Amino acid sequence: MKYGRVYIEDVGVGDELPPLVKGPIQQIQLTRYAGASGDFNPIHQDDEFAKAAGMGGVFAHGMLSMGFVAQALTDWSGAGSVKKLGVRFAALVRLKDTVTCKGRVLSKASKDEVHTVELEVWAENQRGEKVVAGRATVALPSRA
Amino acid sequence: MPIQINRGVVGKEFPPYVVTVERGKIKEFARAIGDLNPFYLDDRVGQASEWGDVIAPPTFAVTFRDESADTGALLRELGTDISRVLHGEQEFEIVRQLKPGESYLCRTRVVDVYEKAGKSGPMAFVIRETAISDRANEVVATLRHITVIRL
Repeated sequence: MKYGRVYIEDVGVGDELPPLVKGPIQQIQLTRYAGASGDFNPIHQDDEFAKAAGMGGVFAHGMLSMGFVAQALTDWSGAGSVKKLGVRFAALVRLKDTVTCKGRVLSKASKDEVHTVELEVWAENQRGEKVVAGRATVALPSRA
Repeated sequence: MPIQINRGVVGKEFPPYVVTVERGKIKEFARAIGDLNPFYLDDRVGQASEWGDVIAPPTFAVTFRDESADTGALLRELGTDISRVLHGEQEFEIVRQLKPGESYLCRTRVVDVYEKAGKSGPMAFVIRETAISDRANEVVATLRHITVIRL
């Protein structure tokens, strides 16, 4: 269902998003994300700086993982469908980590011809630890 | 010895700034995430879409920055520096899609600052909100950004 568009009628509470697997995270991706986002915090680039800051080494931008979660959503619901996305950064993503984004439908609502779905979304590392956890609201079309 | 955070920044509004979205920047951002959705990357797909052009991915507005209103400026006022900062939480509310060539006005304010004991010691939480509006002065997106400072 890559780049798919689901209809509100096809969605049920408890439905799960197709998992999106990203990584293993490489330094070049963090450097690329720094350039694309404008977040040049050396803690994501310079291992010595990150160690001196007490972080034990370089880790990924939280916003990169949030971007992965947003991709997992829109791969399912379609580009331009996200109305709200809010996450907490629960744990650091390190180099070589694999990030798997998941989601589950919590509720559906229809009001004034606007159909929305609320989801629980999260991302896990290769040990099954949550690195990102949050909620999303997407708007879906109706077959009607 | 924990550092002292200047709570006087609560309520502060940073100088508003204008950002014009560049087509290439949308594509660079999507590719950096590895999100190759054609609605972000393919101009022909964008032109044929309901938006009439490519659109930005949901988290793109995080690229909207200005020296006078960025994290560095905030940290100086708070009395700390980048090495102590973690991103705690982030939220986007999207009313309308951001598109290339459009200019947006960004207004950021500090909503709250509070301290809390964290797993690895005392921490300060700084909550900022940025309202992004279009030329008609309608809000198209809102960002809520929680920065964590290790004290």
